[in-house]
Amino acid sequence: MTIEVDQLTKVYGSATAIEEVTFAVETGEILGFLGPNGAGKTTTMRIVTGYLPATRGTARVAGFDVHEQSMAVRQRIGYLPETPPLYPEMTVAGFLQFVARLKGVPAGDRADRVRHAMARCGLADRAGTAIHKLSKGYRQRVGIAQAIVHDPPAIVLDEPTVGLDPRQIIEVRKLIESLAGDHTIVLSTHILPEVSMTCSRVAIINRGRIVATNTPENLTAELVAGVGYEVEVMADEAELLAWDAIAPTPTPTPDPAPSETVPAPDPESTESKDSDSDQESQESEPESESEPESDTPEAIAAPSNPSNLVKLSDRGAALVEQLGAIAGVASVALLQPELSHRGERPDLRRLRLRIASQPGQEPGRAIAASILGSGLGLCELRRQRASLEDVFLQLTTTEPTDHNN
Amino acid sequence: MAIILANITAIYRRELQSYFRSPLAYAIAGAFWLLAGFFFCAILLGSEGLIQQAAMRDAQGQQMGVPVPPFDLVGEFLRIFLGTMGSLSLFILPILSMGLYAEERKRGTLELLATSPVTNWAVAVGKLLAVLTFYVTLIAPLLLYEAIAFSGASPAVAPGLPIAAHLGLVLLAASVLSLGMFVSSLTASTILAAVMTFALVLFLWIMDLVASAIGGPVGEALGHLSLLQHYDSFVNGVVETKSLVLFGSYIFAGIFLTAQSIETFRFQRS
Repeated sequence: MTIEVDQLTKVYGSATAIEEVTFAVETGEILGFLGPNGAGKTTTMRIVTGYLPATRGTARVAGFDVHEQSMAVRQRIGYLPETPPLYPEMTVAGFLQFVARLKGVPAGDRADRVRHAMARCGLADRAGTAIHKLSKGYRQRVGIAQAIVHDPPAIVLDEPTVGLDPRQIIEVRKLIESLAGDHTIVLSTHILPEVSMTCSRVAIINRGRIVATNTPENLTAELVAGVGYEVEVMADEAELLAWDAIAPTPTPTPDPAPSETVPAPDPESTESKDSDSDQESQESEPESESEPESDTPEAIAAPSNPSNLVKLSDRGAALVEQLGAIAGVASVALLQPELSHRGERPDLRRLRLRIASQPGQEPGRAIAASILGSGLGLCELRRQRASLEDVFLQLTTTEPTDHNN
Repeated sequence: MAIILANITAIYRRELQSYFRSPLAYAIAGAFWLLAGFFFCAILLGSEGLIQQAAMRDAQGQQMGVPVPPFDLVGEFLRIFLGTMGSLSLFILPILSMGLYAEERKRGTLELLATSPVTNWAVAVGKLLAVLTFYVTLIAPLLLYEAIAFSGASPAVAPGLPIAAHLGLVLLAASVLSLGMFVSSLTASTILAAVMTFALVLFLWIMDLVASAIGGPVGEALGHLSLLQHYDSFVNGVVETKSLVLFGSYIFAGIFLTAQSIETFRFQRS
């Protein structure tokens, strides 16, 4: 039961909701549909389920066109809209029986299927409760139950976990995972960790256009500077850092990778010679053998307390060059030390670096060996994997370059 | 075919169940029965009522020694009472029909109906039947009163007359509810639907006045559309094909227009 969407476009008067959306979901797959609010997720799902007609393009469920053969599609699809379509005065069991009747479940199977759906969604003890008395979490569960009560081959869930507490989210996630395999599922959500856990593939939509469709692992590997390490190094006597108390550097490039301090353009920034040399000593591109990716972070993050900027001392710069030369290392960047709340000066013998590695490489062992081999102390070596959130932010905060503008 | 019937039945059952759980329905029923009962008593039993009038005519006739022309009390009563009920229904029916689609839109359940394998007109028929059933339960007690009252009439009442009269009432209600359902399907606001339905029904009710004001062939054509005229003929016991066709047309038009408007305005961006 595949779901295929081809060049789907929806225009409301002069506003384009979605444009040329194309993706396909194979049988038994779970596709996660991500996007900021207003990107067009709900519109796409409404078209696929036959609620809205598209302006252009086609959508097919199990080979049936949603516009031409709407009834056939509706029989094969279970849909949970953004607001669950619940009748407040009905009881849970009564409502599910109504939905079962509506979806054409044969009379003999209805009671079983309703019981089964209630058991799967954890509603068995609330079967006789009126829906208006249920909490939000339970209502959401009833919404999911009505989507699966007729055992449809294709299930479309629009934000199934919105408003649920963490335990309920886990239960819903388990439920969705248990459904995969027999059912083809498309779900949209904002909760990114969940997507990387349940979905076999992810489609990211922004401003009505699909910007990426891939497995979560491929997305994180391709689009962001994959794996990286945070290192804290300590020297016994030599100082690895030096003071740079002149006015702070403006931050030239946005840093999508996680780091301790957030990039913040400082309104009173002025360029200074020391700041320039600050930048240069932290870049190690010429020394490493890597090919930097277009999105690799290279500049430092601006500190939150500009009057305490530090830069690399000569010993520190030598270490950075040495690390940059390791095979598999893409870049090395200095992280400004965290300042204690009492405003104490940081220890200049401790150095924190962020080392970005080339995709597919894990030079952690070599990094540790290099640091220890040069007689320094290794205080912390932490591997960091770029998350789907970074991919999401990166893809959805850049201006679309091609068609829209 | 069986599937369509099953769908209609499912919608019908759900809709009817919701009336029994809705405070508004109970309030309307209570108000209607109160007023209907009051009118019944006033028209039949009151000091100015029909029984009193008949008695006075008898008394006058005896005084003057003139034979009293027969007084068709039952017919008179049905005319006056059902005339009043018709007017009362004009106020009640828009309130019954206002929520049929507007509530669904408001609650978001229209999305469920629109993505289920059930056709628009099947949903419309199911809803209309449900609200009509509710209306019939509203007038059921009146039938009881009348049965008790007419059992004391001499000569005995021809059963055709009350049946025709109430058939007219039910057909009138079905037409109004059908048009009201169409109006409800246009909006998400129940109040707006009720007001628009009331205005529409009032217009159709006084259509014969409008028609005579316009005059000419257009006026004649419009005159035929008048609900009041055809309702009156039913109440008088005259069941004419043209009246049946008119009411049937209104009912069918309501259902058809509802299905079309849902198809077109399924989704309204709020």
